[in-house]
Amino acid sequence: MRSWRTILISVLIPLALGSVRADESDSEVEARKMALDLAGAFANDGFKLRDGHWSGPIKQGENAIVAVNLYAGNQYWFSVGASEGAKNVTLHIYDETGKPVPTDDYDETDQAAAGFSPTVSGQYFVGINPAAETAAKSFCLVYSYK
Amino acid sequence: MLFRVGLVSATFLASAGLILAAEPAALTLEQMAGAIKTDTVTIPTPGELFAALSKPGKPNWAEQYRPPIPTTYSNRAQIALNLGGLIADGFIAVEAQDSQQVKNTGTDIIKLAKSLGVSEHVLSRGKSINEFAENGQWDALQEELEATQNEVKASMQSNSDQDFIILVSLGGWIRGTQVVSGSVLADYNEASAKTLRQPALVTFMQKKVDAMAPELRNEPLVQTVSNQLSEIQKLVTFADGGVPTIDEVRKLNEAVGKLIDEIQKKNDTQ
Repeated sequence: MRSWRTILISVLIPLALGSVRADESDSEVEARKMALDLAGAFANDGFKLRDGHWSGPIKQGENAIVAVNLYAGNQYWFSVGASEGAKNVTLHIYDETGKPVPTDDYDETDQAAAGFSPTVSGQYFVGINPAAETAAKSFCLVYSYK
Repeated sequence: MLFRVGLVSATFLASAGLILAAEPAALTLEQMAGAIKTDTVTIPTPGELFAALSKPGKPNWAEQYRPPIPTTYSNRAQIALNLGGLIADGFIAVEAQDSQQVKNTGTDIIKLAKSLGVSEHVLSRGKSINEFAENGQWDALQEELEATQNEVKASMQSNSDQDFIILVSLGGWIRGTQVVSGSVLADYNEASAKTLRQPALVTFMQKKVDAMAPELRNEPLVQTVSNQLSEIQKLVTFADGGVPTIDEVRKLNEAVGKLIDEIQKKNDTQ
């Protein structure tokens, strides 16, 4: 079963990349590849990759906050990838009041993931935070659930 | 390098990279108000909703089927709303692992998509849906349905039909909520009932409808849906940790049921 999922995701990622919007920049495409690369790891544990993403630039010293709506009972992993040169990107999840929620975190230089299981359905926020010294780069957020 | 998928497993992440991060500061009201909201990540798919519903116990999905709906509407807004609903039906059939129902629904999805003038590429997905259904590839089918929905929306985007995109999402959410509330009513438990709380999502969709071009927003069916959304928003806002009572679930089920009837009703003039 595990190898089947791996094959499936290996097929789906190029398909997903094939449907890149025409107005996406090369650096956004690169960030998306990094995000999908990381999210693929969670497929091995039965997480389904949502066929949708947010991508865009984040200026130096700034962050991006993306609203998502999640269901109690599901487990989620949010994965972010960055274009080359990004430093120490981190992800944080906040509940609908803006309070941070505890997550399992994975941070690499240009990739990061945060996982958690909401106990209340509703709106949450995903904060994408590049290191302050990172010059403007493109970032891409995807998420997986099971 | 780019496709290291599968080489890095979640287990590896757990052993090599998981760290306990310091707690960040809470978001300000301005940050929350300015958060990025997009159709592609802010609106969950029917698959996510049904996955959550399946956690406390496998629902009787077949009980939530509905009779086939017309596929010959002439009003584009109505087609878009029903297309979203049909995609939700596809997810239900996948959850039920009912290959014939998946094929029937897939055929109807393609018929409606065709009448909206979406690309040939989307239409070719009908064949894939049939193949996956015949082979019982349920995970792949779910991915295919999600991809079909996204391609329909992408096709609308490139055809300058952006306003119809939210109607597809909305139709899917309304039908999904009808199914989930119906399933919760049939076998009430708090864990399942919790999935119905989504006030911010309804507010987001309502704002998108309000921002439509006036000629579309003023169409009778869109107005009906928009007016009902305000009521439904109240019905998916629950106190006490977000767990609705069985009476609250019943009221929600009745409201979305009435709306689905309006959406799928074919006027004699059509």
